[in-house]
Amino acid sequence: MHPAFQGLLTIAIGVSGCVGYFYLSNQFLDKVLFPPRGPNAGRNINRANIIRPWLFLFPAVAALGLYLAYPVIETMRLSLTDRVPGGGYEWVGLENYKQMVAEPKFWEAMRNNMLWLIVVPALSTFFGLLVAQLTDRIRWGNVAKAMIFMPMAISFVGASVIWKLVYDTRPVEQDQIGILNALYMFFGGTEPQTWLTIPFWNSFFLMVVLIWIQTGFAMVILSAALRGIPEETVEAAILDGANPFQIFFKIKVPQIKTTILVVWTTITILVLKVFDIVFAMTNGQWETQVLANYMYDKLFRANDWGVGSASAMVIMLLVTPILVWNVRNARNEMK
Amino acid sequence: MSDIAGTKPALRWVVHLSVIFLVVLWVVPTLGLFISSFRTADQIATSGWWKSLFPSEQNLTLRSAAAENQVLEDGMYVIEGNLFDASQKATISKWGVSSRAVDAFEPGQTAELRRGGTITVDASGNYRMENAEEFTGARGARVFVTAELPPEFTLDNYHKVLLAEDSTDSMTRAFFNTLTVTVPATIIPILVAAFAAYALAWMEFPGRALLIAAVVGLLVVPLQLALIPLLKFHLGIGIGKGYLGVWMAHTGFGMPLAIYLLRNYMAGLPRDLIENARVDGATEFQIFTKLILPLSFPALASFAILQFLWTWNDLLVAKVFLIDASGQTTVMTNSIVELLGTRGGNWEILATAAFVSIVVPLIVFFAMQKYLVRGLLAGSVK
Amino acid sequence: MKHSLYAGAAMFALMAGTAQAEKVTVFGPWLGPDQENVQKVLDGFAAATGHEYAYVGSDSFEQQIRIDAEAGSAANVSVFPQPGLAADMAKSGFLTPLNDGTADWIRDNYAAGQSWVDLGTYSGPDGQDNLYGFFYKVDVKSLVWYVPENFEDAGYEVPTTMEELKALTEQIVADGETPWCIGLGSGGATGWPATDWVEDMMLRTQSPEDYDAWVSNEMKFNDPKVIAAIEEFGAFALNDDFVAGGAGAVATTDFRDSPKGMFSSPPQCYMHRQASFIPAFFPDGTVVGEDADFFYFPAYESKDLGSPVLGAGTLWAITNDSPAAHDLIAYLQTPEAHEIWMALTGFLTPHKGVDTSVFSDPTLKKMNEILLGATTFRFDGSDLMPGGVGAGTFWTGMVDYTGGKPAQEVADEIQSSWDALD
Repeated sequence: MHPAFQGLLTIAIGVSGCVGYFYLSNQFLDKVLFPPRGPNAGRNINRANIIRPWLFLFPAVAALGLYLAYPVIETMRLSLTDRVPGGGYEWVGLENYKQMVAEPKFWEAMRNNMLWLIVVPALSTFFGLLVAQLTDRIRWGNVAKAMIFMPMAISFVGASVIWKLVYDTRPVEQDQIGILNALYMFFGGTEPQTWLTIPFWNSFFLMVVLIWIQTGFAMVILSAALRGIPEETVEAAILDGANPFQIFFKIKVPQIKTTILVVWTTITILVLKVFDIVFAMTNGQWETQVLANYMYDKLFRANDWGVGSASAMVIMLLVTPILVWNVRNARNEMK
Repeated sequence: MSDIAGTKPALRWVVHLSVIFLVVLWVVPTLGLFISSFRTADQIATSGWWKSLFPSEQNLTLRSAAAENQVLEDGMYVIEGNLFDASQKATISKWGVSSRAVDAFEPGQTAELRRGGTITVDASGNYRMENAEEFTGARGARVFVTAELPPEFTLDNYHKVLLAEDSTDSMTRAFFNTLTVTVPATIIPILVAAFAAYALAWMEFPGRALLIAAVVGLLVVPLQLALIPLLKFHLGIGIGKGYLGVWMAHTGFGMPLAIYLLRNYMAGLPRDLIENARVDGATEFQIFTKLILPLSFPALASFAILQFLWTWNDLLVAKVFLIDASGQTTVMTNSIVELLGTRGGNWEILATAAFVSIVVPLIVFFAMQKYLVRGLLAGSVK
Repeated sequence: MKHSLYAGAAMFALMAGTAQAEKVTVFGPWLGPDQENVQKVLDGFAAATGHEYAYVGSDSFEQQIRIDAEAGSAANVSVFPQPGLAADMAKSGFLTPLNDGTADWIRDNYAAGQSWVDLGTYSGPDGQDNLYGFFYKVDVKSLVWYVPENFEDAGYEVPTTMEELKALTEQIVADGETPWCIGLGSGGATGWPATDWVEDMMLRTQSPEDYDAWVSNEMKFNDPKVIAAIEEFGAFALNDDFVAGGAGAVATTDFRDSPKGMFSSPPQCYMHRQASFIPAFFPDGTVVGEDADFFYFPAYESKDLGSPVLGAGTLWAITNDSPAAHDLIAYLQTPEAHEIWMALTGFLTPHKGVDTSVFSDPTLKKMNEILLGATTFRFDGSDLMPGGVGAGTFWTGMVDYTGGKPAQEVADEIQSSWDALD
């Protein structure tokens, strides 16, 4: 069978399967199991309402459990064991963690990750909001948005190539083919810089790549949120004589606060996981290591699953504050 | 309704200019790659892409015709011709015959050749070599020229990626394979996640907050960890490597973000709307399909774009769960990597391939953007 | 005589194989043109045995073979670019030992046969040493590339000893030119070209035994002998006058762009030390043997270490046992399997029984002569070291070194990362 037909068939089966599951299971619950009729109507409604959320949740929870929770548990187990040559594992307690914190590379990765966590989400969200607001009412706004969104559509491999070309360095006597060095030389630089090897600052040059990609994402979501703001609130502010900046910061931003936080969180999480950029451009050399690449190094290069898993656990630990914040948010909404 | 660009014309100009500035900032890197995709590997490696738009002065190493082309004229052996290809038009400003002195001569001057004889080169590249003895050797003499060259672009890279004999088949197949992977891997998670998000946003049940926390927690699971246990699982239950496996994997990996985005959006829908519907006797299933789904369209579209892009550009998941030894199940990203060859340094192919693979996501974005707006208008009851 | 006997035995094994045609899956690191080449060899295998085959290549071989092996979905035969990785896999029990007699065949038919056997012999999960890997397709790394016409223009001679090479280097600088192009950039693998330099220097300053001890870490990485070898590399790479763009450009220049400097006008450099694959990255239309050529990276005349050659190669191992997989390994022992690829491009072999007239161009033949004429052949040390060192800290350490870190400090760090692995 041609894969395209197989694909169409899968879409049909998948979609009708999902719809069928949700529809039939609800029907079953309402019509057969706990019909809201007869002598036990009230009790049945309550029972049905206790079960129904789980009907809605079941497929998602199953997928989450299998594809994500199970690997996490497996990882936690691996982080506490070492592999014995020839198969099998031995329990080593926190040995892997001890080994990890003794490595300077790990702390370098931690430091850089902190920088990434602060800079990338902040700037992506900032630029996203800026573009979303500025393009909102200009006639060619959609074109501008498409241009800024475009990097989202480029794979990480493509993005690394693009930026390698930007940062490229040639000896001083040759033509520069990297635009950054060309500009630098044009504005009076004496010696072309190898941007990606300047410790500390090179991390920022790598961050630029991710900001460049993620601003489009922030823009799309925030622009949707901005358009959802009720017009009356803005009109009222104009009548009160507020200037555009006041309108933006005092009226609009507070109303889309939740969306801003969602965007911020999503990018933060992405930052923790993203390793393609560092991997493809510097592989963590010249002090640009980040945790995700450190983990990859340990898992697939050093074949040290124990330490690799331990660093994965650290990545998950780092996200705990966001997790706590989200849970609290969820609680507040319920009140 | 008004906005920053409100009423003052000066401010409007500032807005336009800042947007232009930002767009230029964002587009320049991609533009560089785009222009590079029309240049040869040697051009990319020797001059900046921005210079390719203008005539440029270049140092070239050219070669005269070989000794077999010589003719005997009045007792002198002579080789004549033009250094450039017939299609090239260039003006020589300096030239030389030794790599140590590449600009030793002006056009029209005559130089001694190291292997005997003389050569005269004029500004348009015509040369005449003379020697009292016969020219020998299989190859012509090297001539170094400094010349003004007009901009030159080539479609060879696109030809190679799209039309070359051995890659056309694989690219076409890879294109359909990629679609086969991405479409179900985009639609199914949305559907599954939408139901779950509704339950998490608007249904009361014990453990709800905990479940939300778990979903957020799972957002950060690094993909690399999941590969080995899951491939083992797929092989164990008999799915093996194939489309079913890759669809399931993408569904699983995309689920946390889908639930997270959709739940946040749905939780922001007006409470009255749902309560009223409940009071009117609608079942939860009806509320979800008739009310929530249409209202959540912008969020669904946002996630669909993200999931589509992610699966379209994915290589790792496809490699682990799909691509087997049969060679039939390749995807776009994989065939691009194959084109790059074992040591993968071909920038011109990379540049071209990046643009070939960007086309579909961009079309999807433009198409979805329209729906985004429509979905937003429908949702403006808020 | 013995050779033909074994070949006959191999053919017999192949005949026996035809009784049941099977499908062999092969997984390797080759993509693009190399993939087409290996498929021609596998076509030959299919024609000779009646088996079918399917080949898949990957640019991230080392990662994917681990995933596939752990999950149990590995191909029948995998082609390892690095023996170190194969040794890891053998230890974890993912490889099947090759048939008895294979080791004897290699000893008899390969130049420096014993060293190829040693390189393919690892201890299995039970601690028993077995031959797991069969070398097929090798690369010579001890080569210096140059443009003959540039040498003629300047009146330079090809050096035949290290002393002459150093003198030539000085000479070029004295003439106001730059002798070397060195580039270590390679994305995620940045730094590896420097490890080849250090290994070549190690072979030219120390005995082969010391080299082996270094690779197995019996000699510590921060041993004075190793540090001396690193500094021998530094003598070329850290001298601003010796390298195009100055020492600062070494680490960031991409190894694929680096040789292009020899071909620019005027030339930015005159020599480039790199393995036999590098012509693929010369400018379009470069004819190897005419526009560019190579000479053997010479040894010190004063040290009496013979003519050591550094090389690398791919090792074929069985990652999912099947009779047809063994048939494939047997097929690789026939001269035909070598001659098919020899007639294409980029293939060298230590097989003594092949007809060298089938080489597609004289360059390959010349390289093969360097290979066969080696008094010492040693495999790329970084490929033999544990992955965390050989494909990790050794690479990054060399980048640090070219960035100005003292050799002692770099070597100490690499050694401590090696210690951490145990």
